[in-house]
Formats: sequence, structure tokens, C-alpha cells
Amino acid sequence: MFSANVARKAVLSVCRASLRPAVSTVIARGYRGDAPEPAVIEIPLPPWQDRTGESLDIKRKRLLYESRKRGMLENCILLSLFAKQYLNTMSELQLKQYDRLINEPSNDWDIYYWATEAKPTPDVYQGEVMDMLKEFAKNKDMEQRLDAPNLEYLDKSN
Amino acid sequence: MAAVCAASRVLGRKIVSSTALPAVCQTSNRKLHFSIYGKRGDAKVSDAISTQYPVVDHEFDAVVVGAGGAGLRAAFGLSEAGFNTACVTKLFPTRSHTVAAQGGINAALGNMEEDDWRWHFYDTVKGSDWLGDQDAIHYMTEQAPAAVVELENFGMPFSRTEEGRIYQRAFGGQSLKFGKGGQAHRCCCVADRTGHSLLHTLYGRSLRYDTSYFVEYFALDLLMEDGECKGVIALCMEDGSIHRFRAKNTVIATGGYGRTFFSCTSAHTSTGDGNAMVTRAGLPCQDLEFVQFHPTGIYGAGCLITEGCRGEGGILINSEGERFMERYAPNAKDLASRDVVSRSMTIEIREGRGVGPDKDHVYLQLHHLPPQQLAAHLPGISETAMIFAGVDVTKEPIPVLPTVHYNMGGIPTNYKGQVITHKDGEDMVVPGLYACGEAGCASVHGANRLGANSLLDLVVFGRACALTIAEINTPGEKLSPLKPNAGEASVANLDKIRFADGSTRTSEIRLNMQKTMQSHAAVFRTGDVLKEGCDKMDSVYKSLDDIKTFDRGIVWNTDLVETLELQNLMLNAVQTIVGAEARKESRGAHAREDFKDRVDEYDYTKPLQGQVKKPLEQHWRKHTLSYVDPKTGKVTLEYRPVIDNSLNAEDCAAIPPAIRSY
Repeated sequence: MFSANVARKAVLSVCRASLRPAVSTVIARGYRGDAPEPAVIEIPLPPWQDRTGESLDIKRKRLLYESRKRGMLENCILLSLFAKQYLNTMSELQLKQYDRLINEPSNDWDIYYWATEAKPTPDVYQGEVMDMLKEFAKNKDMEQRLDAPNLEYLDKSN
Repeated sequence: MAAVCAASRVLGRKIVSSTALPAVCQTSNRKLHFSIYGKRGDAKVSDAISTQYPVVDHEFDAVVVGAGGAGLRAAFGLSEAGFNTACVTKLFPTRSHTVAAQGGINAALGNMEEDDWRWHFYDTVKGSDWLGDQDAIHYMTEQAPAAVVELENFGMPFSRTEEGRIYQRAFGGQSLKFGKGGQAHRCCCVADRTGHSLLHTLYGRSLRYDTSYFVEYFALDLLMEDGECKGVIALCMEDGSIHRFRAKNTVIATGGYGRTFFSCTSAHTSTGDGNAMVTRAGLPCQDLEFVQFHPTGIYGAGCLITEGCRGEGGILINSEGERFMERYAPNAKDLASRDVVSRSMTIEIREGRGVGPDKDHVYLQLHHLPPQQLAAHLPGISETAMIFAGVDVTKEPIPVLPTVHYNMGGIPTNYKGQVITHKDGEDMVVPGLYACGEAGCASVHGANRLGANSLLDLVVFGRACALTIAEINTPGEKLSPLKPNAGEASVANLDKIRFADGSTRTSEIRLNMQKTMQSHAAVFRTGDVLKEGCDKMDSVYKSLDDIKTFDRGIVWNTDLVETLELQNLMLNAVQTIVGAEARKESRGAHAREDFKDRVDEYDYTKPLQGQVKKPLEQHWRKHTLSYVDPKTGKVTLEYRPVIDNSLNAEDCAAIPPAIRSY
């Protein structure tokens, strides 16, 4: 069934996550009400990798795109406002933390629940940036948060 | 000139494609160079302003654009069948808008009570207000149980009953015994993260079959030649290179275009890219005027409160504390079809029984439900209500308003997922092109979609595209030749936008479009308001010629991407509003105050005896096909008949049209 495309696939494959999970899936059945729901979906995805060789400027630009383009509206609004406030002044370490926070979790809702403290933040994501995000989500200044901001704040000619 | 440029650009790198002829674009006087040579691995990342767009050619058996539920299912199905498949997506797969889906998947498994897929078929046909194609609906509802079981076998952890079978909850518009047996419980879910679970499962599976993912590549256009689709051209955001994905089969699964409206529940990524690509290729889009307004979007931000709340017992109340849905839909009440609920809410507001200081919305009450039930089955609701509405759901009701949520229309396909056009009264397949998911219009949702049918639509038609491709192609087939400068116009457009220096900013034009659509093409539509909207949209479209962007780079240029998305949104918006203005009837989600009734080939409110059947030109039970001239924004409309027969009349009798009440 597989044609001689195998060699070509090796050349053409540019899949960022190139590790293949080599485990079979074990499905844990959760019962409504009684046993706890399985907290983790069994199929492992390729692990997230930090990008190397990226200058800080490029990293900021990439993280801007990745903050604005999320899976659901709540995160689009929250993270693009957060990026407007903090992204351009983050240190290298903070940028790395933020990169991991918004790119590694596979369920966008989780990031939302951690930021709003509906669920506890896993240890690997705890840190300065997570604290900043939680603080930001509280909206102590009660600013109107009806939509993601426009990009013009980045226009240097303004 | 061309030869000099070519000579200076041929580098000693591996050329993936056999063509090596550079082409110089003559249309712009900015000396745009469009060359083809291989560039792999050691790409230099540079943000320098350059007029050079290095192009990389790839060859695959199939390319899927979009990595949401439908795209992943198609990519996985194709890879499993042995096809060398590429999946081009502007987002990481698990960040597609499918992840927002919290409702579930409808399937007549019969775990909660006796059920039959033919009842689901009836519900869907009725829900579509008889604009859905019954062959496609037959296909979807019959395949539904098998599709859910297949997902379960892939490892998707559905919520279960005490006996260990898949738990199914109630959802709007679902009934038993052809509407006579009461509420059906056929929505299967994974707590409130069905969408995420679906993506995670399918993405994981597809990787085991060697699908090649091109993540954060923005698809610009289809590569069409002689009416056949030969692939896709895309921009790699990471390094600004252009990629042409040549393939005999292209599947479009790019989702909806909610962002044409000011208030919508969609993420900012729902920009109708696939619909626009098809429009620019000269092909029609179908039924774009049918935009679903979800009854319960949070007033203000627009964030969605899932229908599952009402499925779990939540109710809508007006300023008098009355459960008003009992008046509008005595049987289904708050779980009537979404368009019925949206219209009821709008009528309540217009008649002065709205809540809030401006009396311009209504309340969704959940605090009468036990807190454990809310926590277990609807956990996300509490957070969203608190953050965006400042409300504690265990004590107060949530302010809600009908908000744009889903696009029933899209790229017209047959029930196998093949894109079609309509010429001389016949449906004709466009070779090499397929569409599925919200971007496709098979049409299973017709004039109105039932809740929890969308995730089902994704998996069934994603799989259908893969099956159809596998049926008529073999892996490793030689590709037909492609012109060396195919895709040049797309790159010229990209270049033009990148250096655009007009007088109106992208964000201003976008806001103009959104506000126009919101005021002129909302839940209730009237002739003169729509006409005014069409004229306004025409001038907003033309203002694109004078657009101003500020980021001149090519690497991770969000301004550029959002402007390309705006161009795509604009094409969707003009087709939506012009189609709405032309359709002089009310059907499903398209409600006109000046034409309150459905206009079918017979008057179904009276007995059919003695009635003369109207020809297609004199009634509205037909699909709209819209074309746009991208240069001027002028929309042309044509129509095609609805498919009224099911796939197999003995297996499943088609449902003749009737009056739709709940």
C-alpha cells in the first residue's frame, strides 16, 4: 500500500514536532459521578521544543502573532491585551516562560483556567509570567475588555 | 533583466521541483522578483525589506488547508489510506477554533433511550428549514453512530453512564419518533471539552501515519489551471518564504467567517480564508446569507455560553422574570432550535421586556441548578461569566444576547465532499477540489444548524473527503504539469499589501465592515436597511484600495496577515449581505421583517390538492450561489435547487417540506 514515497517524505517533511510517539494508547474509562474523570488524554503528542537561533526581536514578533491567534475568543481577548501591555518589555527569561506557557499546553481552555485561577497552575508553568498573567486577568483597574486591541500601538510612526 | 536576476539567484541548493524557470512579474513597477528554487533547512531568517520572494515547491498526493476537526480528520484519513499528505495551517492544530467547542457530537447510539438515526435525520431536515440537501443529511446521520464509535476506538474519552456506555445529553432541536416522542438525548460529549479532545485525538493519530504538517503557514490562494485545482500557495510566517504545495487533491477545511460581524463568538482566526480562496478562483460560495445567531453570547464581549447550559436545565428569562420560551415553543421551550430562540429573544427585547439599563438583552438563569451539576458538567461557564460579565452564576443570571456564531453557508459540495459548480441546470464537480467542515456546505445545515451537529459534520465529511479521494486516486500518481509562474498574482497581492501606504488603516476598514454588517445584516433584516448595507459594504470594499499597513517586514508580520485576513473577510461579507438582500423570504436563520414567511414551491400551510407547483425562479427554496469580482467587489447571484431525495428511499424516506414549529 505504501508507495516509494518514503524516501521523499523524509526529505519533504518539515513537521516541527518530528518525534513519533511509540506507545499504544491505554484508555481509562471514567464513570459519571463515581470515579474521577481521566485528567489526561492518553495519546501523547510530540513534546514542545524551545526554538533555537531566534533573536529576541523575532521572538517577540512571533509571540505577538501567537498571542492574538488563539483557539477561542476568551483567550484571544485576554492574551492579546496581555501582549499589548507586557510583550515588548519582557526579559529573555520571561519571553521563554511566556513562549512555553502559550505554546505547550494542548488545550487553550487550560491556559484560561490557570490565568483566571479556576484551576491550579501546573508547576512547570508557575513563574513570573504566570503571576503577571493572573494579576492581569483580575483586571484591578476595571478596564473595558470587550475585544482584542488593534495593532496600531506597534506603529512606530505614530 | 529576467536572465540577470535568474542567474544571480540560482544557488547550489537542492531543487525539489523540476521547474527552474524564474518569472518576473510585470504588473507591478516595484521590480518584484518571483523565482523558483529549492530552499530547505538552512534558510536565512531575515527581517530586512526585500523584494525577493523565494519560492519552494512541494509535491504531495493531497494537501489539506486547515487543521481543525475537519482538516485533521481528512488528513488522518488520507494518510491512513497511504496518501502522502500535507496539512497547511495558520495555527498549531490544537489551537484551531474547534477547541472552543464545548457542546458535543450528535449520534443516534440509543444509550439513554431507544433511538433511530432516521429520527435524527428528520430533526436535521426540519432544523434546516428544508434547505438542507437530504442526501447529504442522510449520509451524515446514518454515519453518525459509526463515526462516534470510531472516535471512541481512537481513544477519545467520552463521558460515560454508570453502565460504562457513552453518556448522551439533550440538545436543542433533537426529538424522538419524528418529532412526536419528546426530547431526545443524543449528544455525546467529553465533559465540556469535546472540541479539544477531538483535536488532540485526531492530531495524535495523524502523526502516527506520517502526515506532514506545515504549521503557521498562511494559505494565500488555490493554484487553479483549466478549471482544475492543482494545489495551494502559502506564505511561511517564520521566514517569509512562499511555498507552492502541488497536489492532485486539495481539501479546504478553513472554518467560518464570524469576524465579519462586530459581535461574534468566534476567535479572531475565523476569517473565511477558504471561502475567499474559492471566490478568487472564480468559483461560487453557497448560502452565505445564512448566519446563525447563537442565543446566548455574553452581552458585550460576545463570548459563548454553550447550549449545553440549557440542556442541563438553564432557562432564559425576561425583565418580568418570565420563562418566555414557553410561549414561543411550547414543546421544546428553551431547547427549541437556535434560530427560533434567537428570534424569540429579539422579539422580547423589541417589545420592551429586555433587561439591563438599556433593556437591550435578556438573562440566562442557572442558579436554580445544583452547584455540583454546574461544576461537573459546565465548569468553564462560571469563569467566563465572572471575567466578561462580572456575574456569579450560582447567585445571579448571566446577561446574554443573540451573537453571530456559525456560518451555515460555505463552499458548495456534494455529499461526498467534492466541490461543485452549477452550469446549465447541472451540478458539476470541480476536479481536484474538496471542502469539509464549517467551510463546506454539503449542505447538511441548510438554513439553520442544530447544536452538536457541527462536530458531527466535521468528522463525517472530513472522513468523506478522504474516502472519496482514496476511491478515485492512487497514492504516488504523477502530477499534471503546472505553469512555472502559477501563484504569481497571489505574491503580487502580498507584496502590494506589505508596502501599502494609503490613508486608511487596516483596523479602521475592518471596524467599518464589522459595524456595517452588524447594523444591517443582524438577526432581523429589512429590505431598505439591507439595501443601505449593500451600498455601504460596496464603499467599504473599495476602501481596501486605499489601505495603509505599517509593518514592512516579512517575518512574523502580524499586520500583513491580519490585512490578508481582512481581504478574505471582505469577500465573505459582501456575498453575505447581497445574498441576504436578494432573498425575499424568511427561512431558518435568515429572518426578514418585510417578508415574514417562507416562500416554497407550494404553500405548505394549506393542503397541496389543487396547488400549482411554482417554477424555481418564483420561489425561494433553493440554494444561493454567489460570485464576486475581486477587483470591484461586485457580487453576482445564481441559484440551484435543493436535493430533496435521500440516498436510498427504502432505507430512509425523504421528508417532504412542512411548516416548522417546535
